[in-house]
Amino acid sequence: MQFKRLVKTLGTCTFLLLLFTGYHRSYTIRYLHTPTIQLPVDTTVFHIVDFGDEVSNDTLLQSLSKEGYPIRYSRAIRTGVCFDNKCRPLDVVLHWNVTGRYLGFELPKKEFLSKYDHEPFTEKEYQRLHELLTDSLSPLGGFYYNEVVPQADSTYNKVDAVSGATSANVLEYVVEGAALTTYKLWHLVYGPTQPKIQALTRQRLSPELLYLILTSSNMNDRMWALNHVQGYVASTPEMQALVLSYISSSNYSLAERAINSINQTDLQSDVLQARLMTIFLKSGHSTKKLLLLKLKEAPKLSTEVADVLRNNLQLLNGELLATTLDLFIQQGSIDLETSRAVSELLVNTNSYVSKMAFSFLEKVNSTDETIKKRLTDYRAKQAGSGVR
Amino acid sequence: MTKMKRRSALASLGSISLGISSKGFLVKEKEVAVSDTYKIKKQTLKTDILIIGGGTAGVVAAIQAGRAGKKTILVESGSQLGGTTTTGGVAFPGIFFAWGQQVISGIGWELVQEAVAMNDDTLPNFSIPHGKNHPRHQIRLNGQLYAMLIEEKCVQAGVHIRYYESPTRITFKNNNWTVETMGKGMHTEIQCNQLIDCSGNAFATTLAGYPVLRESVTQPGSLMFQIGGYDFEQLDLNLIKQKYEEEIKKGTLDKYEFRNNVIQILKSQGDNISHVMGADSTTSESHTLANIKGRASLLNTVRFLRTLPGLEKLKIIDVQNETAVRETYRIDGHYLVTQEDYVTGKVFEDAVSYSYYPIDLHDEHGIIPRHLNEGVIPTVPLRALVPKNSRNLIVAGRCISSDRLANSALRVQASCMGMGQAAAAAAVLAHTYKTTPLEVPFQDLRNLIETHGGIVPGLT
Repeated sequence: MQFKRLVKTLGTCTFLLLLFTGYHRSYTIRYLHTPTIQLPVDTTVFHIVDFGDEVSNDTLLQSLSKEGYPIRYSRAIRTGVCFDNKCRPLDVVLHWNVTGRYLGFELPKKEFLSKYDHEPFTEKEYQRLHELLTDSLSPLGGFYYNEVVPQADSTYNKVDAVSGATSANVLEYVVEGAALTTYKLWHLVYGPTQPKIQALTRQRLSPELLYLILTSSNMNDRMWALNHVQGYVASTPEMQALVLSYISSSNYSLAERAINSINQTDLQSDVLQARLMTIFLKSGHSTKKLLLLKLKEAPKLSTEVADVLRNNLQLLNGELLATTLDLFIQQGSIDLETSRAVSELLVNTNSYVSKMAFSFLEKVNSTDETIKKRLTDYRAKQAGSGVR
Repeated sequence: MTKMKRRSALASLGSISLGISSKGFLVKEKEVAVSDTYKIKKQTLKTDILIIGGGTAGVVAAIQAGRAGKKTILVESGSQLGGTTTTGGVAFPGIFFAWGQQVISGIGWELVQEAVAMNDDTLPNFSIPHGKNHPRHQIRLNGQLYAMLIEEKCVQAGVHIRYYESPTRITFKNNNWTVETMGKGMHTEIQCNQLIDCSGNAFATTLAGYPVLRESVTQPGSLMFQIGGYDFEQLDLNLIKQKYEEEIKKGTLDKYEFRNNVIQILKSQGDNISHVMGADSTTSESHTLANIKGRASLLNTVRFLRTLPGLEKLKIIDVQNETAVRETYRIDGHYLVTQEDYVTGKVFEDAVSYSYYPIDLHDEHGIIPRHLNEGVIPTVPLRALVPKNSRNLIVAGRCISSDRLANSALRVQASCMGMGQAAAAAAVLAHTYKTTPLEVPFQDLRNLIETHGGIVPGLT
């Protein structure tokens, strides 16, 4: 069960946290990345969320801009780092951005993180922790609690301190002397809170918000946004221009996600199809194939695109040629000019190509005399040579 | 029961519509009586290009040759294509991207990409560096789906596939090869102009009479498997480790069989953790031994694990049907790629493809990958794919001419795919120009590979 209260902000974010978390402390130790959307916080919404984790706090703060864009999500973590029934309190606020990406942490005044011997973290260790928590792909994600905390012959202090008690593989990814603290925080950052945040952002997605996220300098943000175009918002000309620029980029992963973000409705546009074709002509093999497959989703292939593909048939290799011919067949709009262009491939010295052209023309069943003559010649040649 | 001749049986299975008819390749055919009731079919086939081995490299080579318009036969001793990726179960090929850019593309990438799309899988974000965790950039595939897709691609490319056949004799005469194979009820003689050895063991090269190289100790193989029936988070790992070590001391378990890492067996629920020491796929006898050893060690270990608290209900969910092999023989090529070449990313003048992977030597102690320095992308020279003194013969895959450490990186699947495409392109041009792969015009070779989507190092 989830409910929310909307509260108008009265001042800065820090003030908000002071007011509503009930800590009544100021924050002195703070490590934060720049949020994706750099607008002032206008409103804070409190969401009561069943996180399904061990932290008792069930409140997630959503800081919104005046436009209603989520700037940041925050969660106060008050828990213990425990082993063998011995606990040290962990009192920290974690922050995420609009896409659920880790932004940072801060500690209430007079609070500090400590290591096995209650020795406080140094500045360097806080920085190291921040860096470790930033890595969403950290191998820590693959470690289980009982690897970090072996069950026998260990004490809490040993766990955080001694490599003998903690898997040697873990030590590389934790703050020295604070293995369990690092492990716990990392799993809080990337645990059940993150999908809850993403779900809340999805509720507020608009073309404008998505556009802002798409312009993020952070690659994960952009990928997140590209994964949230299709099925979430109607694309705008600005968004489409950005998506096209990503398709043109040399970054394959970005291009692949960008192509994937284009939907059938977008493809009704002949202009968009033409732009995709322009990119097609300049792009590498892997992207070319994806673009042809995307054009298969178009309700109707534009005449301009069909013309370009037809004029380039002789330049396409086996796989791209096969996909292009499939595209023509699938679109069902094969004009005489296209059939004639394909029939020219019947005399190609590459038998794989000529066979493909033959198979295509058999499906088309053209009544054009030129094509029929070429087909007859092809059949005669095959019969004469006994070719497969 | 109606009597049916075997040829009719093939026709009733739709051999022609599936493109597996030998019609276009057949020179002659006869039946040789073995007994009063059984005859072996003896065929003579003729083709432009013959590929021995339908594994990771062989499939790509066959498709490339077929798509370039050459008559192509692919001989595979097993029941399906894909080799270690499918039958071996190592269904996570990599690595296709280095330092944010694609370095291996073309046919291999096309196959992987289609398998990913058809299984609704998501590709890793290659723009984020993998750091020390290179498997992050490997692509998990549905192995059985992949096996079917690559077979379909071969058929579409006009490749004549011959399963269950293995070469028994290879001779070179009048600039052509004659390869005799034996299979179920078949004795086939295949005449070809260009021969591509993708056996992984340099088997065709050996049969053809060229020297091959082998280390005194080779890397272990792996029997891929999956286990379940327990909750890892509830296990007392210290206790399990202690009991495991006790069994090793007693000699009931062998620490080398699972990299001395009982925790990893449980954590990864099996997968790529077994080490079958000395695994060798060179002969049916040695591969049989590798399979039996792999299965025996798995059974033995599973029996032990089921005696431990929390693991009483541990069960085997799946086991591949053969032990995948990492290293056997390599050719003695015109050039031997060294570790130094590899780790410095030497760009050879005759480089035909890239390779990208850490130096990854498995031994009795496990593996400690040595990652490449930032920006380094090793390359594969054409000369390393051609056995010394040979003509009309080229290899692709892990039997590339290389020292042991370079080979530990070159042997991986994406690199083998790149080599497969390049080797086939060289064979195609050698057939066209009536020459040998090493003597084809390099610019033509580059053009052919690139036309089919491959990436050739150096400036275009």
